[in-house]
Amino acid sequence: MPQMPKRVKFRKVQRGRVRGVASRGNTVAFGEYGLQVLEGGWLSAEALEAGRVTVAQFMRGEGRLYIRVFPHKSITSIPAETRMGKGKGEPEYWAAVIKPGMILFEVGGLPEQSARDCLARVAYKMPFRCRFVKRQAS
Amino acid sequence: MAEALVLKSEVRNGLGGRDSARLRKNGRIPAVVYGHKETPANISVSKDDLTSILRQHARTLSVEVGGKNETVLIQEIQHDYLGSTVLHVDFRRVSADERVRTTVDIELKGIAPGVISGGVLDQPLHKIHIECPAMAIPESIRVKIDALVIGQVIHVKELDLPAGVTVLEDADAVVVQVKTAQALEVVAGAEGANEPEVITKKKEKATDEE
Repeated sequence: MPQMPKRVKFRKVQRGRVRGVASRGNTVAFGEYGLQVLEGGWLSAEALEAGRVTVAQFMRGEGRLYIRVFPHKSITSIPAETRMGKGKGEPEYWAAVIKPGMILFEVGGLPEQSARDCLARVAYKMPFRCRFVKRQAS
Repeated sequence: MAEALVLKSEVRNGLGGRDSARLRKNGRIPAVVYGHKETPANISVSKDDLTSILRQHARTLSVEVGGKNETVLIQEIQHDYLGSTVLHVDFRRVSADERVRTTVDIELKGIAPGVISGGVLDQPLHKIHIECPAMAIPESIRVKIDALVIGQVIHVKELDLPAGVTVLEDADAVVVQVKTAQALEVVAGAEGANEPEVITKKKEKATDEE
């Protein structure tokens, strides 16, 4: 089941704009290797879940997965063939707001080649261009 | 430990984003030298020279500032948002006999038998805070995991440290361990609320009264 917040202050939020680049959450912090996004936008909870399932099926309990983003934002939509007006639509799905440079997934406890293969499969499921990154030396 | 390398620099007069961007366009990296209660010096260094020094994992080096050599520690390196390009470097003045606080990487050596027998290697601590002589900062702290079986843990207090190095972390902090493999849940349960709880939702009684 896709992730969503347990408690929110408001059911619906304004759309907003994805401006600028990631100034935090843009380095590998927990695992050894990560998947860095090169474009900004919304990442639906379903897409995030698809990535998680892909990793789970690839790793089969070998390594560790870290998901660095969470779908905090509710996205509303108006049903088809509905006249305009009558207020804002109902929440359709939940999404994470993604800025270029953010790390979406991190893996640890895997050899580099396995991590590359694993995250390449995840990248295929993502709606953004992504790249494989390693932990930076201090 | 790397030898004290020499990095040539030029004093920069123009400050701010535009001048820095111009410098980067010309193959130079803006930097600053500060510390020891002396006036900070705004300098620029060659990108190629700096990249070469960083590739050698140098932590302390000698920077030529206005014809005078200063021993400095690389205090901070700013990267762009993708972490690929160096934008700015902070150099901190140090003296040869000074002890400094810094972070070094933890490098795992060997293959844990626990991993071969189906465990998962978990490394909560990738970097460690240490205090050591400025001229003897280790490149990394090596941890042998040749004998690590499932359920075994290596703590900070069990690390083999080079001479003169003091750890500033909690002694009982876990550096690396081998855990039992737990398959990630592939299909999560369908139960649970479809919508989150709204904490500002008005109570039904209040709406009835209206």
